Amino acid sequence: MHCKRANNLMMARLDGHAAEVEVRELEEHLFTCSACQARWEKMRALDQLFRSAPMVSAPSRLHARVRARIDRREQARRAIAGGLALAIGTAALALLTLVPIGFTLLENAGAAPALLIGGVETITQLMNLIDPVTRMPLVLLDRFAASLVIVGLGSLAIAVALNGLWIATMRRLRPVGR
Amino acid sequence: MTEEELWIEAAREGDKTAFGHLVEAYQNPIYNLAFRMLGNGPEAEDAAQEAFIRAYRYLDSYDPQRAFSTWLFSIASHYCIDRLRRRRINWLPLKEEIAEPIRLASASPNPETVVTERDREDWIQELMSTLSPTDRAAVTLHYWYDCPYKEIAEVLDLTVSAVKSRLYRARRALAEQMEGEAYALQEG
Repeated sequence: MHCKRANNLMMARLDGHAAEVEVRELEEHLFTCSACQARWEKMRALDQLFRSAPMVSAPSRLHARVRARIDRREQARRAIAGGLALAIGTAALALLTLVPIGFTLLENAGAAPALLIGGVETITQLMNLIDPVTRMPLVLLDRFAASLVIVGLGSLAIAVALNGLWIATMRRLRPVGR
Repeated sequence: MTEEELWIEAAREGDKTAFGHLVEAYQNPIYNLAFRMLGNGPEAEDAAQEAFIRAYRYLDSYDPQRAFSTWLFSIASHYCIDRLRRRRINWLPLKEEIAEPIRLASASPNPETVVTERDREDWIQELMSTLSPTDRAAVTLHYWYDCPYKEIAEVLDLTVSAVKSRLYRARRALAEQMEGEAYALQEG
């Protein structure tokens, strides 16, 4: 028998996969080959060393830590989803209030038709926007001061209410016992 | 349906208590796998945690046709392999780690010294540290879990013949490092 086959049989024997005839074959070879005999001793010692080592137990806190990380992860996901919803809601609210105001301002400044007519005239009229835009704050204050305050305060109140609702929801969903 | 299958199904629907049962059932095998591969407790604890978190995150991709333990071992083994590779890149030149001699054999003044449990653990960790990350996983699954070659292959995404040859080479390399005190251990 070649030493290579003997090595394979050593592994098989240690793992309990060797047939009886293979075991005898290996023993005969070991009897005549001192190099394989030495390796066999080492293989057996290795096997015994590794198989005698027990399973190491996990620290008792591992379970709780995994649970805490899962809770934190879900909380973060909810916070992101909530934040995103709040941001989209606030942006939609802002658009709803600001678009009509902006359009009215453009109309008053004579720029609104430019957006509809097109061509060279549009460019000319858009250029004319520069002047009205610089005057916009004054026009704003002059014409819409009262209604802007109402719309602004209303938006602020709605945003505060949404934020409050979101924070309260987050507190309610926060896991207990940590 | 087994209790484990019920837990898995419930966990997939977001039941954290059911997932907690799975953690409880597998925390020791997963921690031991990480400990044997990484060689120290704090890192093993981190790795075991990470393996469970990943399992929870990807529970939807688990194929119930496979054994849950194989799937979980696969996640933990691959995480430990990645961690060992990063560690190697960051801290240790490959050659130095492989060339590290096992000194226990010659360090003891008395060959008949009784090998304590602590010595045995240190010795095993030293031997394991001479193996490549994937070989460490294969050796751990072979010795501590009695996994058949087919299961080791599934866990490590290798072919059965690749597992056989890896284990053959790794065990031979480890055996070559067994000297003097190995026999003292045998006697003890």
